[in-house]
Amino acid sequence: MPNPPDPLDPLLDRWTEPKGPVPNLAPEVWRRIAHEERNAPGIGGIWGELDSWLSRPPFAALFVTSCALLGLFLAEVRVNRQQRVQSAVLVRSYLQLIDPLLKANTVAKMP
Amino acid sequence: MRRGGFILLLGLAVGIAAHVVYFNVHKPYDAGTLDGQLAWMKSELQLSDAQFARIKELHEASSPRLRALAAQVSQMQAEFVAFENTRRTSDRVDFIEFARFVEVRRNIDRECLDSTRRLVMAAANEMTESQREQYLGIVSATAPQARPLTN
Repeated sequence: MPNPPDPLDPLLDRWTEPKGPVPNLAPEVWRRIAHEERNAPGIGGIWGELDSWLSRPPFAALFVTSCALLGLFLAEVRVNRQQRVQSAVLVRSYLQLIDPLLKANTVAKMP
Repeated sequence: MRRGGFILLLGLAVGIAAHVVYFNVHKPYDAGTLDGQLAWMKSELQLSDAQFARIKELHEASSPRLRALAAQVSQMQAEFVAFENTRRTSDRVDFIEFARFVEVRRNIDRECLDSTRRLVMAAANEMTESQREQYLGIVSATAPQARPLTN
């Protein structure tokens, strides 16, 4: 029973001995490495990408608006927190203002 | 990169500027001054400009008297400490002097309570029903209580 033809056979038939080292092999290897590194997404790649996005007017406008909204949001959070604390202080101060007995007692308790 | 960097810095500057301006506009009131306390009351009770002006006037008018009374109360407290020191060191009490002290202290306490009550009532009369309710809720912490004479 004959064996089925192997697809590797024609390739092996075309194979010949290498004719010595390829000229300029090392420079060619380094050139390819450098080319790959340039295209790799490293730090420069991220900044480059960011720069290209921010250079587009719609994205630049969106970015600046987002920064303004973030600043406003953080300010509102800060104001709310301060107002909560300050309200209690204001009530105490007002009560001391209208009640001399309370004021004198508070002053007396001060170290 | 120059244009992207510029937009990045611009965004940062706009964000910081928005934060600073908003925070300064909505800055909490200064608790240490009468103006700060009244401004807080105006916002808290949602007083109209006319109500605020009248209430401010009432507070400013009674403020010197209340300060003077507070000074008298402090002085009485100092006198009591002196009495107590004398009693501890010499084991003697000048009962006539102490009776005078108690009487004066009692009068001052009464004056303090009356002044506070008059101011609160006058301010409350300038307010609407809901504002008055809220205001009296705030000042109820200072409602007349039985205070020991020697305190």
